[in-house]
Amino acid sequence: MELSWRSKLESLLGAPIMTAGLPLGERESAWQDIGLEPGDRIRSGDRFRLPDGTIRLIVSADDEKVEYVDLQPGDLTGREEQLLEWLLRELDRASHAEGSRERPLNREMQRFGEWIQEQIGAGRLQAAVPDEFNAGGRLNIEWIPFLLLADHAARANDAELEKLLQTYLETDVLLVPLRDQEWLILAPDSLLYEEGGGRGDIEETPEELLESVARGMHDMLTSEWLGENHIAVAHPIMPSAAVVDTVYLLRETVALGRRFHQGDTVHLPWNIHLERLLNSIPDEQRLRFIEQAASRTDLLLEPEIVTTLETFFAMNCNVSDTAKKLFIHRNTLLYRLDKLKQDTGLDVRLFRDAVLVKIILLLYKVTKRK
Amino acid sequence: MAGVRLEHVYKRYPGSDVASVKDFNLDIKDKEFLVLVGPSGCGKSTTLRMIAGLEEITEGKLYIGDRLVNDVAPKDRDIAMVFQSYALYPHMNVYQNMAFGLKLRKFKKADIDKRVREAAKILDIEHLLDRKPKALSGGQRQRVALGRAIVREPQVFLMDEPLSNLDAKLRGQMRAEISKLAKRLETTVIYVTHDQIEAMTMGDRIVVMKDGVIQQADSPEVLYNHPINMFVAGFIGSPAMNFIKGGLYERDGSVHFKADGLDIELTEGKAAIVREKGYVNKEVILGVRPEDFHDEPVFLEASPKSIVSALAEVVENLGHEKNVYLAGLGNDTVIARLDGRSDVKEGSNIKLAIDMNKIHLFDPESELNIFEI
Repeated sequence: MELSWRSKLESLLGAPIMTAGLPLGERESAWQDIGLEPGDRIRSGDRFRLPDGTIRLIVSADDEKVEYVDLQPGDLTGREEQLLEWLLRELDRASHAEGSRERPLNREMQRFGEWIQEQIGAGRLQAAVPDEFNAGGRLNIEWIPFLLLADHAARANDAELEKLLQTYLETDVLLVPLRDQEWLILAPDSLLYEEGGGRGDIEETPEELLESVARGMHDMLTSEWLGENHIAVAHPIMPSAAVVDTVYLLRETVALGRRFHQGDTVHLPWNIHLERLLNSIPDEQRLRFIEQAASRTDLLLEPEIVTTLETFFAMNCNVSDTAKKLFIHRNTLLYRLDKLKQDTGLDVRLFRDAVLVKIILLLYKVTKRK
Repeated sequence: MAGVRLEHVYKRYPGSDVASVKDFNLDIKDKEFLVLVGPSGCGKSTTLRMIAGLEEITEGKLYIGDRLVNDVAPKDRDIAMVFQSYALYPHMNVYQNMAFGLKLRKFKKADIDKRVREAAKILDIEHLLDRKPKALSGGQRQRVALGRAIVREPQVFLMDEPLSNLDAKLRGQMRAEISKLAKRLETTVIYVTHDQIEAMTMGDRIVVMKDGVIQQADSPEVLYNHPINMFVAGFIGSPAMNFIKGGLYERDGSVHFKADGLDIELTEGKAAIVREKGYVNKEVILGVRPEDFHDEPVFLEASPKSIVSALAEVVENLGHEKNVYLAGLGNDTVIARLDGRSDVKEGSNIKLAIDMNKIHLFDPESELNIFEI
């Protein structure tokens, strides 16, 4: 940001612009009091309310640092805050476009993305899309919604991404920029159907079809675009009525997926019901549960045992399949499970104990991070 | 084509005190088939992902050819990836899957067609070009994933456990095919696996990793016959090397290794080394590979000073060989691999001679191979 611009802003606001050297990945732990979750991105114009009532306005953010100004309630009216938020975002967008010489994405989609963000921020998850974003009624038909988060440090080029997706899907897509490095992608639901119309092949479930499309998209974006990314996909929706709720759901899906299943990059909302429930449990209750459920939790959480158990559950508690997946002898696996039973009192070959251990492993991931 | 060079590369994840990859230095030659091997969590996949550009390098430099690529996007590094969790593009047929990357790069249709058909021929999937991925078997999908990589004609192929989702028989077939393919294409390949058999059979050179650190990098023969430490010695070879704790002492001008149930004499050459390094009258760990135990009469007769007696608790008859689980040598079970024609019986006491030219001795504290340091 130019020095003169910065000075002018400080003068108008009557408060200094602070700089925090906060790389991505450290923000949620450093700024816990503003309620950041893993995977949340900060962008220019974002506003957060601190526990003491102070309003933190983000002036600019990149992967290494965040510039912000703290204001007291009443320093600005609501309208002034909104105006400032809009100005900062436009300034940020303009500076990036100038630097990268990208062609600006469809302004309408950018405004649509901002509108979605506002509705989520205000808790209006069932908000209907205004007519200004629904020219031609294209949001009144079903689209498959994907949420894409890019991990790469360099700022992604929206126009390049849009073109890449259109080439990949061989059809028009709607690309809606949301937060920094986050997009909603709306793809035609015809992707789920055989050529020539109709469902035709009934061998795959809708969830399996959606997953394979998402995984293909993830692979393609990883190798052909900027590298690692996270994708969530939901069942087809009619965006005019459900887009806000769906974006909220997909964001939650990615956040939970990254928290509970590190290493996963494609996240599916129908696979994380248990994780959603466990995430809502307060920390104290989680710890108490872990302590009470198993006599030797430390043994349960040794890396080799964790890998063994996670594979065992992934293989639907099938001993032979688990042994093959782990590249160990069947007897070695049985020995490990017997030893676990001896040391912790829990036999994962019994349904009740398997459920307990599964929950303990999931809770441990969340509790450990804090 | 090009080599790959990593100079003092580190990977630390935010919030973690421990580096996942530490001081990784390696020069991979052009056209080399290099295998990164090690247990889960050793840093091999992280290293590969840094080379691919999917993970940022915390510290150090990465060169592909002569180009520093630390800040170069994956798509611009001229590499092709075949990872364990690859996904084909489900709405495209095999031809389109293989052609997609070239189409993005604005190759001419005729060139795309030529490359795709050549790759399909190499992989024997010409008859599958019109099929969609869901109509393919696991092995066929694997070939298409390879085909997608081959058509790019990259400088480097990166493969991360590409065979781990295949059954054992198919894995063996594909292993051989990938080896042949690499030779035919004359391309640098960096291949990650946790399977030491895969590593030994495929690699020109193997890098054994543990806890983010390179333990040893050398040809399969050198790793097998001259492991630098106990980890490498125990990791490479199946069944694994036997380790017996004991001590060295001198008697009548020769050096002996003694432990519970055995007292064997070292060869003159090995005795000279342990004397020179000051290990006489010290505790050491003996390493003996299962195939270096012999029960043939001619061997027993020729090696009177290295004969041991033990109880054959379990005999696994594999046809061409027998794995014999022995009790009474040191504190743990020792495995001997004998010829399939051996008449060893379960529950019997047997005499075996150890090939003393093949033994290893390890320092119990540093775990380094005394004969290699």
